[in-house]
Amino acid sequence: MRAACIAALAACSLLLPVAHAATPPAKKADIFGVWLGIASNSNNFDPQWANKPYTPAPEFTDWGAEQSRQHGRLGVELPTPGACQPINPAAFVGGFFPTQILQGHNQIVLLNEWVAVPRRIYMDGRGHPPAEDWLPSWEGHSVGHWEGDTLVVDTISTNGRSRALNGYLAGNVNATPAGLKAPRLPASDQMHLVERFRVVGNGKILEVTKQITDPKTYKNTFSNTVYMERRPDVDVQEYYCDDNERTKDEGH
Amino acid sequence: MKVITQLGITAALALSATAASAHHSFAMFDLGKDVTVDAVIKEVQFTNPHVWLQILIKDDKGTETEWSIESGAPGMMLRNGWKPSTLKSGDKVTLTLHPLRDGRPGGSLVKVVVPDGRTLGPGAPAAN
Repeated sequence: MRAACIAALAACSLLLPVAHAATPPAKKADIFGVWLGIASNSNNFDPQWANKPYTPAPEFTDWGAEQSRQHGRLGVELPTPGACQPINPAAFVGGFFPTQILQGHNQIVLLNEWVAVPRRIYMDGRGHPPAEDWLPSWEGHSVGHWEGDTLVVDTISTNGRSRALNGYLAGNVNATPAGLKAPRLPASDQMHLVERFRVVGNGKILEVTKQITDPKTYKNTFSNTVYMERRPDVDVQEYYCDDNERTKDEGH
Repeated sequence: MKVITQLGITAALALSATAASAHHSFAMFDLGKDVTVDAVIKEVQFTNPHVWLQILIKDDKGTETEWSIESGAPGMMLRNGWKPSTLKSGDKVTLTLHPLRDGRPGGSLVKVVVPDGRTLGPGAPAAN
């Protein structure tokens, strides 16, 4: 009889929630999946999802102003230094191309159809390495944590070699005459990027606010916000951008 | 050749049918000019990083010139109504382009009316 009771309890324990289990991690927002920049991919959308420009207006240091002038020559007077180079992490999400966000064991991975390299955001509580151990790279070193339903990502140690944050002058098929006049916004290897990812719009919209501090290039800290639409119907395509040599250096 | 918008196209046709240079940016296209032509598709290169349309345009004397029309990335175009099979060799189309500034026979795609009647853009929604 006693054995039967123990067996029954054991069986029931498999079916019932375990009350004393470790507290589960705080619920995180569902930022995972495929997202597509709204303003870049539609002529007609709800204006509340219009991207917000850099605020306050970026103010160049002397070095930054000269860098901006030099970037303005690329693709016009000078060839682009490598159209297939990865873009700056501050320009990674929100444009024409879809971003796929994946959950790994101790990291979140961002993939962009256009960009050849992923962004790995370490979520295991580590910090950045000390400055003497930085290993500058295209996408830098990123660590993240959750603040409620907002993913906060802190990035340093970029290599400062990316195209400007607003791209090469006339750098894409949808370039406009007005766009040709906009000053280029470069970023140096001293850039510190803080991004805040938050799902809004009844779970269908990803809002990403990007705060940029780069004392080598800018006198002030500024932020912009981009909005992306959840698009489970979109298959992220391969984009090996050296395939057709005709387009090799044009800064797409 | 039927030229609906006659902007710089005569000079362009006076030059040879050399394909657009590989080493350029979109600054090489005159983004302030739209030229609309009737053309025949010679070849579609549905390739990364950008799709190219090789089109044949006849002038008023019946002389045929090949133009190289650069479009967007395949992924962008797929998301905006294109398939690799949308245009085939021999298809007759009405196409609007930003011409090359240097007068060579080429340009960047603004929009094209494809055989099924749709108007498609270069990878973003077609301009109205």
